[in-house]
Amino acid sequence: MSNYKEIFVKTDKCTGCLTCKIACAVEHSETKSLFSAIRESPRPVSRVYVEWLPGNAKVPVLCRHCEEAPCLNACISGAISRSDTNAVITDAGKCIGCWTCVMVCPYGVIGRDQTLAKAFRCDRCPDREIPACVGACPTQALVYETVDGFSKTKRKTVSRELLTREGA
Amino acid sequence: METRYLIVGGSAAGMAAAHTIRKKDKTGAITVLSDEDTLPYFRPMVPYILTGKKQVPDIALSGTGIFVQPRIDVRTGTIVTSVDPVAKILTTASGKTWSYDKVLFATGSRPYLPETVKGLDSPGVFSLKTVADAAAMAQRSRNTDHVVLLGGGILNLKAAFALLEKKIKVTLVVHSPEVLSQLMDPEDAFLIRKALDRAGLKIMTGCSADHVVTDADGVCAVALDNGTQIPCRMVCVGKGVIPNTECVRGSAITVDKGILADPFTACSVKDTFAAGDVAVTHDPATGEKTVTALWTNAVDMGICAGLNMAGIPTRYTGTLGIMNATQVAKEPFVAMGRVHTKGRDLETHIDKTDTTYRKIVFNKEGTRLVGALFIGDITHAGMYRYVIREKKPIDRIKSHLIRHTLHYGHFM
Amino acid sequence: MTSETPFQHLTTDPAVQQMLAKAKENHISTVWDRYEQMLPQCGFGETGLCCRHCLQGPCRINPFDPGAETGICGANADVMVARGLDRAIAAGTAAHSGHAKHLAHTLLKMARGQAKDYKITDPVKLKKVAARLHIAVDGRADTDIALDVAKAALADFHEKDTPVLWAAGVVTPGRVEVLSKLGLVPKGIDHEVAEIMHRTLYGVDADPVNLLLGGLRCSVADLAGCYMGTDLADILFGTPTPLASQANLGTLKKESVNIALHGHNPVLSEIIVKVAGEMADEAVAAGADRINVVGICCTGNELMERHGIPSCTHSVSQEMALVTGAVDAMIVDYQCIMPSVASVAECMGTKVITTMDICKITGAEHIDVKEETAAENARQAILQAIAGFKKRKNKPTHIPALTNTVVAGFSTESIVAALSKLNAKDPLAPLADSIKSGNIKGVCLFAGCNNVKIPQDINYTKIAAKLLKENVLVVATGCGAGSLMRHDFMDPAKTRDLCGNGLFAVLNAIGEANGLGGPLPSVLHLGSCVDNSRAVEITVALANYLGVDINQMPVVASAPEPTSEKAVSIGTYAVAAGLPTHVGVMLPVMGSALVAKVLTQTVKDLTGGYFIVEPDPDKAADMLLQALNDRRKGLGLV
Ligand SMILES: Cc1cc2nc3c(=O)[nH]c(=O)nc-3n(C[C@H](O)[C@H](O)[C@H](O)COP(=O)(O)OP(=O)(O)OC[C@H]3O[C@@H](n4cnc5c(N)ncnc54)[C@H](O)[C@@H]3O)c2cc1C
Repeated sequence: MSNYKEIFVKTDKCTGCLTCKIACAVEHSETKSLFSAIRESPRPVSRVYVEWLPGNAKVPVLCRHCEEAPCLNACISGAISRSDTNAVITDAGKCIGCWTCVMVCPYGVIGRDQTLAKAFRCDRCPDREIPACVGACPTQALVYETVDGFSKTKRKTVSRELLTREGA
Repeated sequence: METRYLIVGGSAAGMAAAHTIRKKDKTGAITVLSDEDTLPYFRPMVPYILTGKKQVPDIALSGTGIFVQPRIDVRTGTIVTSVDPVAKILTTASGKTWSYDKVLFATGSRPYLPETVKGLDSPGVFSLKTVADAAAMAQRSRNTDHVVLLGGGILNLKAAFALLEKKIKVTLVVHSPEVLSQLMDPEDAFLIRKALDRAGLKIMTGCSADHVVTDADGVCAVALDNGTQIPCRMVCVGKGVIPNTECVRGSAITVDKGILADPFTACSVKDTFAAGDVAVTHDPATGEKTVTALWTNAVDMGICAGLNMAGIPTRYTGTLGIMNATQVAKEPFVAMGRVHTKGRDLETHIDKTDTTYRKIVFNKEGTRLVGALFIGDITHAGMYRYVIREKKPIDRIKSHLIRHTLHYGHFM
Repeated sequence: MTSETPFQHLTTDPAVQQMLAKAKENHISTVWDRYEQMLPQCGFGETGLCCRHCLQGPCRINPFDPGAETGICGANADVMVARGLDRAIAAGTAAHSGHAKHLAHTLLKMARGQAKDYKITDPVKLKKVAARLHIAVDGRADTDIALDVAKAALADFHEKDTPVLWAAGVVTPGRVEVLSKLGLVPKGIDHEVAEIMHRTLYGVDADPVNLLLGGLRCSVADLAGCYMGTDLADILFGTPTPLASQANLGTLKKESVNIALHGHNPVLSEIIVKVAGEMADEAVAAGADRINVVGICCTGNELMERHGIPSCTHSVSQEMALVTGAVDAMIVDYQCIMPSVASVAECMGTKVITTMDICKITGAEHIDVKEETAAENARQAILQAIAGFKKRKNKPTHIPALTNTVVAGFSTESIVAALSKLNAKDPLAPLADSIKSGNIKGVCLFAGCNNVKIPQDINYTKIAAKLLKENVLVVATGCGAGSLMRHDFMDPAKTRDLCGNGLFAVLNAIGEANGLGGPLPSVLHLGSCVDNSRAVEITVALANYLGVDINQMPVVASAPEPTSEKAVSIGTYAVAAGLPTHVGVMLPVMGSALVAKVLTQTVKDLTGGYFIVEPDPDKAADMLLQALNDRRKGLGLV
């Protein structure tokens, strides 16, 4: 089990305000400021998704940086690798937009820039101490913690249960 | 004693196995024998070598993704000619022998060249498989302004676009009624066909090459079975692949189209394994035996074989015979599982717009998702793959599957 | 001397910094704490891209999601943003004009003998206003004229045969023409507010430019409400004339019964001041030396302008008055009263007393103050303050020993009167000549609030300092005036240091001619936020004098720290009037490139005014100077 911090989701706290999405897009913009990012071309895009379930549950979803990451195995151009901080990252320079990673990701969290033909996903904001989405979440539905630290408070494994069943 | 691992074939399956073994076994000797002259590389990137957009070092496997383990001895230019799985000895074309404790056959596949078409051995006839092929094609293409491609599969489409990028006219000769017939029914392909036409590909469907016409400089035309001839200085054959099983022929290892592998990637003889394009595995969507030609499958199976070879019994869950994602002519598409539905007893839902096409396929009882085809918009394709592959119960999510509103929350 | 305080990033007012330390010590939650807790704020709200105008919503358009370009009904970002802005303008308009309407009712009741505690204090202004309204004055009793003025005022709220008189009658002829051409002359103040509510309803106006024109027209109605508010308050309570006063938290006195009057309308605060003056004995009996009335926010401005009542603090630091522990009652009417004052008061063992039935606060005591029974109601409230004093008199207080000298009391009338000491026949000539000669480069009006997002007062002081040095005549209203006064900009002793030579010469000449023995303060206090009308009145007078329209005048406006929707409507009418208007906080319009462009560029071709949105005070000052220079160039001045 790694000692690196991960982004965990407490779905019961999410209000669906989408502030995380805005913060994410801004962090992944050129200018890093909302009011100017909004005028950038191409517009920056978010790597966080907030899904909705009947009963009005809101479910933030983002790259889990899986231990056994199907995308990492599947990449046909060598663009996907694991970083020093255990994040699974896509190197836009090497990505050729074949979308194989999109096809194998069971979470549906790899985005596509169709114009540039590049895949993108959560990179846990390498330039920041706390990822932008976590910092922005007004209800602390997103937390940045080590697995250990998080299970001490509350363990809601949204990440692993799916993948343990994935072959490999 | 340290285990001696031998791996025949240094590509997706072989290298994935090698790096996985090294992760688990820090001391064993891992040797990869490859008949290619280049160090292992990402084969699907070969078209970029043809266009010249990338050089061979740019597409090297080593140091990327899962290929980051140390001490893997790759011997290039080494052709394995036979194996004695009882004595545990391999022989190479130069006559050298290699003893091993465990061996993996990851010899992959090669382009199928139909014998019915005469002249495919002429200078100027290629198929795009290796970086050497790409370099040779690039060389020939300098004196060529028109290439005829035989076959309308994904590989030939990639080759066609690479040539198009070099400002060379291309004509695809496709036996089937439509391109990509391996990956979809002809009716499904109209959006892609439109995009291909728009991109400037000339496509002739419903006809085949009869023979290649040559002169002193090699190819000078392709004669079709409808009696016409297309002048060209270059031909590229893309009519599927066949497994490279030659080196095990005559041994005790069972071959049936490909090398038979059990659910633990083992061959019929102890300490012998197979993975990748050369291996016969099973398709969880159909339950049938299958050989595939997929990088992702080769890597997954290679990892699995690596674990088994390193002494960690691991079941290979099989692969969908069809599991392709790509983008041709700016049109993304994904085809997974059973996508050929014409005339079959399957519950099929088609949803099309002028920019997107979606086909969702259930078994005939409508109780299980068995295939999905997305063109134009491939959002959340991975979830469909997951449902197909894991045979997930669908009663609660079926309408989402059909309406394409499925998301991760539905699995919680 | 003053070392780094830990609160400099929150406020530049040292008195407020001291109180923040105290609040922290006592675990009192302040607006700054709550702001921090609120972060991050919602980007949809920040950019104007959320809509709750119907029950199918709420909708928000994610500017970074190319797939989601409209709300559920199909309204796109431009429409959503324009609708939101319109509603802010309507809210601001409703507030200023509500204030004016309250005054009109008071005047009406007074004229009918139903509000004996009120009287006509400035009959000259009454007649001036009546004349503008074509109400006969000759030989008529003041109360009769007042009755007609009150009726005319109330009539301006609804649609009638004439346009809103307080709009059409108060601007230059050229402006009337421009506004008429654009269809921007309001038909009735309430009518315009209601029409904004109508057109921004689900499924009505979906043309962003049409919506913005609607907003502009509503803002002209806001000007009318403001102007009417000033006129009627001057009639009832007197037109300000220069006087000296003090500002900041040091104006609270440990030994006195401290009453903080907070809110806006002099209808309440005037009566409290009057009755408090009659209750000194009761205060003394309770052990106090006297009753010390201080103002907070605009009602404080109204009192300071007319009576020299000190201003305690303003806007974002209103809670700090209570944190001193010295306020015995905070008596409020409406607008800009943070509900949090009730809980801070509770922590400090004191009381907030609400007085208006449209503004009650849980945790506050309510004493309904009616015009008919105003003095009696006021007495009740003051008794509460005295009782409060008794409870706290032996407890420690923490009053920062900081006050600022203020000379206030400026109005169009008092400025013209002061100028007439230089040129009795042609009082505007000295001002006009100074502008022409370049001694005065132009005029900048500071208006608006403080905003918790900006270190309190920093934008006002930085921009004003730069403009004054460049010889720009600076006038201020509302919490803008409050801000500048708490930083000595209204202390005549500082005029020499603050102003450029040309401006100083003019201010000094006026001061000397008026027997002040020195210059006017560097910034002229024009009153409360409704009194932005005074800035309009002066600008119009000067424009008429020079024979030009407002959009040619070297006059700019700045709301560098706006908070209230009232600041939005004021800013918008400044633009409608033809002024370059700076806003120092991002308006919630960035979600629409179109709306942003209309407000900052396109509208220039229509009214001549435009918004300058610039959070950086140094850049803002430069942009304002540039705008003034452009205007000067347009007039052929160097
Ligand atoms: C141009 C192109 C594009 C492709 N694009 C995609 C794609 O987008 N997605 C996808 O999933 N798949 C794609 N593929 C298919 C994919 O590359 C193969 O499925 C994958 O490479 C199979 O890996 P493998 O390790 O099983 O075999 P191979 O890659 O075929 O490698 C086998 C290696 O073994 C060597 N070898 C064979 N016999 C011997 C011997 N006797 N002795 C020594 N060495 C031997 C071969 O020369 C070769 O180097 C593409 C293939 C090509 C050619």
